[in-house]
Amino acid sequence: MISSWSIALLILGPLAAAALAFTFPKQGRWMALASAMVTVGAVVALGREVLVGGVQTHHVGGWSAPLGIDLRADGLAVLMLGITALVSSAVTLYSPPYFLAEHDAEALHRGRYFWPLFLFLWTALNGLFLTADIFNLYVTLELLGFAAVALVALAGKREALTAAMRYLFVSLSASLFYLLGVALVYGQCATVDLPSLAAKAQPGPTLWVALALMTGGLLAKAALFPLHFWLPPAHANAPAPVSALLSALVVKGAFYILLRLWFEAFPALMTPAVAQVFGALGAGAILWGSVNALFQKRLKLLVAYSTVAQLGYLFLLFPLAAAREGGFLAWSGGLIFLGAHACAKTAMFLTAGNILHAAGHDRIKDLDGITHVLPISAFAFGLAGVSLVGLPPSGGFAGKWLLLSASLAQGQWWWVAVMLVGSLLAAAYIMRVLSHAFTNVSEPRRPHPIPPVMEWTALALAVLAVGLGLAASWPAELLHIGAPAALGGPGL
Amino acid sequence: MIRRVPIGILSLALLAGLAWAVLSLPATPTGLTAESLVKLPESGVTNPVTAVLLNYRGYDTLLEVGVLLLAIVGVWSLRRGEWPAVDLRDRPLLMSLLRVLLPVLVLAAGYLLWIGAFAPGGAFQAGALLGGALVLVLLAGLARRVLQRDRLLRFGLALGVLVFAGVCAVTKLLTGGMLQYPAGSGGKWILLIESAALISIGLTLGLLYLGGRPALKQEDSSERSPHAHD
Repeated sequence: MISSWSIALLILGPLAAAALAFTFPKQGRWMALASAMVTVGAVVALGREVLVGGVQTHHVGGWSAPLGIDLRADGLAVLMLGITALVSSAVTLYSPPYFLAEHDAEALHRGRYFWPLFLFLWTALNGLFLTADIFNLYVTLELLGFAAVALVALAGKREALTAAMRYLFVSLSASLFYLLGVALVYGQCATVDLPSLAAKAQPGPTLWVALALMTGGLLAKAALFPLHFWLPPAHANAPAPVSALLSALVVKGAFYILLRLWFEAFPALMTPAVAQVFGALGAGAILWGSVNALFQKRLKLLVAYSTVAQLGYLFLLFPLAAAREGGFLAWSGGLIFLGAHACAKTAMFLTAGNILHAAGHDRIKDLDGITHVLPISAFAFGLAGVSLVGLPPSGGFAGKWLLLSASLAQGQWWWVAVMLVGSLLAAAYIMRVLSHAFTNVSEPRRPHPIPPVMEWTALALAVLAVGLGLAASWPAELLHIGAPAALGGPGL
Repeated sequence: MIRRVPIGILSLALLAGLAWAVLSLPATPTGLTAESLVKLPESGVTNPVTAVLLNYRGYDTLLEVGVLLLAIVGVWSLRRGEWPAVDLRDRPLLMSLLRVLLPVLVLAAGYLLWIGAFAPGGAFQAGALLGGALVLVLLAGLARRVLQRDRLLRFGLALGVLVFAGVCAVTKLLTGGMLQYPAGSGGKWILLIESAALISIGLTLGLLYLGGRPALKQEDSSERSPHAHD
């Protein structure tokens, strides 16, 4: 079967751009721009192919699985690729002035390394979303983890290096746990092809241990409570565009693999008890992350703890989508929530970067009057907050609404309570920032000027986060294509 | 001491779980060995390991070559490396050893690359030898001027990824599938990829020894006037 170019370009485009950005260090931003154009075009083309022709498969090397590796694009993969392309394109536009604004020469030099590392990260994410092979997933995790750690260290400060080191240890050991699980699965099932595992998987000690190891590793990478400890320092101390990439995309890569494993490869092992454990951890993340966000003194740490909390909502998808009734409702709700969070969190971290550049600090209590200085950024932060809290008509609202409907339809009322408390806490920590930001000051500050592109990219992402709620039927339609059979059909 | 108790319990639990899992594995190992041997004549090489690495699962290797490049980009982004302080040029005995050793290492690397198609060997093994040779060169303080040519080093390091990605694109054009080699020509494509990968792997492993990017004269001057370019 001859497949189209879109899948090949989604891998080769950013990969070649990464190698070229390293070879020609002064041209990095142009390589990223070229990669962004190729990738956005390829995602749009692939989306059309999937909508028209269903799931697309590319047998790399011409061998089909199990001997070779299959790249496979279903609705879920296209949605994730689209979110990645959006966030990465925004970061591509935002970053050149961000790194050029550095004042010392060493920092400026480090800024050049941002581009190849960022493009490797992009390659890894595209590869991760496209592959249908659990060993190849390990290779993409390696690429993703190393790129992410190096990007955190790019900030160069002591705290950033400490956070990067801790992140490296967590990420490496998590990868090894995952690999150990893959080896056991191969020993048991004689294949690493994800779609064909479901037929071969017989629940037994080997698969339970294998899946426990893989899940443990991936939960650490996804920073799900109580394995979130590495996330706030890493995300808060990285350069702002890096924080955006990490919070919006990188942690979701591990979540995506968990969805594939539990709903597609091993649905037979997804017992109600397992689903409830995932949900309980998610609930813990929502409460713990939100309460901690409420007490942070620095804006970037607040936004990072908010990520810990928002990741919790994603894991509510497990108990809700695993149920027979309304499984697809929760599935699409969780994934729309993921998209809205990616856009909103990117907007927030980019805004935080603007504030850091303009004011020279990000202490929340000293943000008064920032609305006069950076009106567009403050508006972007507010809009992104609307989506994080889950107010209508935002994407965050649409996602929560679908999750709430599913839990009410299934009588799992306890998740409703958690989501409502989480939303109230989110409203509280967002309002805490806004109340400081909208305070008037008698003497106007003299901030560093901010290039307009840094403000407008943040605003564009915030508008998208809100707008996603109005267009929520579109991703839901996409998600139907190739949705796991374990969801029990198209749902309500 | 108190903290070690839970860690010990967790480790024991992990050990018990792993033992349980391994003992429950099928008694006769199942896998893809038989199938990969059946398809071996179509792969273009006769060494099954090379067939897996560069044909059946060549896509994994493409990304792994990317990981190697990423490793050196990451290390270079962190700090400037230091040239080894020891200079062997006034140690005639060691220098005469290197005079023999370096050519032999390069020759052996070339041999391993070639033999990889038929027997154990290949770009990674050959690259490790080449990397070792480069470490000796660095320790001896040789070829310092070549090693300061930033553009050349960067090109050499990225070559493996660029050629590999290029082969993906060309094979996609020719046959419609990435890394799907036209019938009968697998061996040549694999040799092309491995030769480029050899250079990059050798350079990467050798240069990682510096623990940072090589200190360059031009870099110092360009850093003093950061606003001149970009």
